[in-house]
Amino acid sequence: MWEYCGMARTNEGLAMAQKMVQELRDEFWKNVKIPGNSADFNQSLERAGRVADFLEFAELMLIDAQDRQESCGGHFNERYQTEENEALRDDDNFCHVAAWEFTGDGKAPAFHKEPLVFENVKLTQRSYK
Amino acid sequence: MTKNIDLTLKVWRQKGAADKGRFETYRANNISTDMSFLEMLDVVNEQLAVDGKEPIAFDHDCREGICGMCGCVVNGRAHGAEKGTTLCQLHMRHFKSGDTIAIEPFRALAFKVIKDLAVDRSALDKIIQAGGYISVDTGGAQDANAIPVPQEVADLAMDAAQCIGCGACVASCPNASAMLFTSAKVSQLALLPQGRPEAARRALNMVRTMDALGFGNCTNETECEAECPKEISITNIARLNREYLKSSFFSRAM
Amino acid sequence: MNWITGTLGSSIGKKLMMAITGFSFCGFLTAHLAGNLTIYGGQDAFNGYAAHLHALGPLVTVAEVGLLTFALIHVITGVILFLGNLKARPVRYAVNKSAGGRTIGSATMPYTGVILLAFIVFHLMNFHFVDKTNTTIFAIVSSAFTSPTYVAIYIVAMVTAAIHVSHGFWSAFQTVGANHPKYMPLIRTLSIVFAVIVGVGFGFLPVYIFLLA
Ligand code: HEM
Ligand code: SF4
Ligand code: FES
Repeated sequence: MWEYCGMARTNEGLAMAQKMVQELRDEFWKNVKIPGNSADFNQSLERAGRVADFLEFAELMLIDAQDRQESCGGHFNERYQTEENEALRDDDNFCHVAAWEFTGDGKAPAFHKEPLVFENVKLTQRSYK
Repeated sequence: MTKNIDLTLKVWRQKGAADKGRFETYRANNISTDMSFLEMLDVVNEQLAVDGKEPIAFDHDCREGICGMCGCVVNGRAHGAEKGTTLCQLHMRHFKSGDTIAIEPFRALAFKVIKDLAVDRSALDKIIQAGGYISVDTGGAQDANAIPVPQEVADLAMDAAQCIGCGACVASCPNASAMLFTSAKVSQLALLPQGRPEAARRALNMVRTMDALGFGNCTNETECEAECPKEISITNIARLNREYLKSSFFSRAM
Repeated sequence: MNWITGTLGSSIGKKLMMAITGFSFCGFLTAHLAGNLTIYGGQDAFNGYAAHLHALGPLVTVAEVGLLTFALIHVITGVILFLGNLKARPVRYAVNKSAGGRTIGSATMPYTGVILLAFIVFHLMNFHFVDKTNTTIFAIVSSAFTSPTYVAIYIVAMVTAAIHVSHGFWSAFQTVGANHPKYMPLIRTLSIVFAVIVGVGFGFLPVYIFLLA
């Protein structure tokens, strides 16, 4: 995630990372070994549950990053930059919050869009100069 | 200077509250003296998991001495022998290669062992629920200096507020009394004007709850003060006694 | 719930009773020691002191009943506290180390207390519930302390008393909430000083009489 879904990402990197996460998750579910049992207090089970969460969340982040074909804030897709290498937003297509609905194991999540509506301010490019 | 040391651990293993529990001996080899006590347990646990055994359950969270989650009795001392530190702040440099370390859970009737070294300390939460708060109406926050508080008093309240609710006072008390904890929680509010309106009821209810939960009676052994990682003073216990007796005999609270 | 029983039945309430009764025993010990010191003045001084005391008549009876009541409260509450504290830690530690808070006094309160109780019974049987018609208290005391066993029992008992009050004295202040940074160091010092006075003051009397005989 640090390499391919960090400060600056590329579409190729994101796609590759998604595949890697999927492989890692398959391996996790195939080889995970949790000492103890689920009937009593089991800290290993707690941790394994957290790792399973991380793996799912990692893929979701990658899916969303690939969907968002713009650069915006902490999400900097190298393909979308201004002449001065600043983040290039695409407010016509991506001025929204994305919510992804779980549709079952191994299935692609369903996309829901919550548009961002600004009444008092006008969207502009942020300037650090 | 960083060194690596080899240790023998005698760890209390107990499946749950119903199990009797027993000591098991483990080797902890090649432990860096830069590690904390909890990191040392992590290393032991990883090896146990690899060997197909159940890792040792122990409580921890922040690992920087502020949350009050960690705590075991190490060689007869709650949070280990260092002064003013929690178990997560105890460094392995305080041990020598070849040492044998006995690790037990905090023991008290009011603290049930959940598993191994993990202990249910929710009894302390129940004491707080009985009155360790102030009731304020919602609305705009009052100006910070509207009620003047002398600096010494504010400092005393802050000292009491340092308590992280770890339960080491109960664990180290020969009587398993929760007086240091309760006194810190009563004092931090009783000292300040904002805490006064409910002070009488608070002292009564918190002490009654503490008694009902099965904690022991304070006999002023002062072991708690010596062991507390936040060095809460027993002058707070004297204040709790004053607050409680004052409320009992002179206030209208029942 | 009646507020008085509710208060006195609570942990702090029981401690309050221990503190008040214990502290009045300290007062009693002081008076008792002051009286006993008349032994150094010789036979007549001591018998004179005893006579003066008994001349107070009903006042003595009131004091005796008061002390007995306080003793019952102190002992019964002490036993209840002790048992409660045992119950509060059903599983003991395998390794138990002090962090430096406890003293010999504080760690042994219930045990020194029981020894004191036994001693007080023994002491009263010897010197209080005896026929004094044809003799004087000085005669009874001097004849008792010709026996090295008696002397030894008394010395042990007085050392025990000293250990008990070395904690009890300051502990009583802390229990009633009297802990002030300006006075607490003094109270703790006084606790030790008082213990030494009790131990040496009472403890030396039997030795003195033994040597005199
Ligand atoms: C000359 C006789 C005695 C004196 C001067 C004396 C004095 C005291 C004092 C001042 C305390 C401190 C109370 C506190 O901690 O707040 C105390 C505690 C105690 N005394 Fe005595 N006592 C005497 C006899 C006894 C006897 C006969 C017993 C027999 C059982 C006894 C048992 C205890 C116990 C168990 C405590 C500890 C209670 C606690 O700290 O919660 N004492 N005593
Ligand atoms: S008073 Fe000290 S030992 Fe007791 S719970 Fe608070 S921080 Fe822990
Ligand atoms: S883990 Fe938070 S205080 Fe030790």
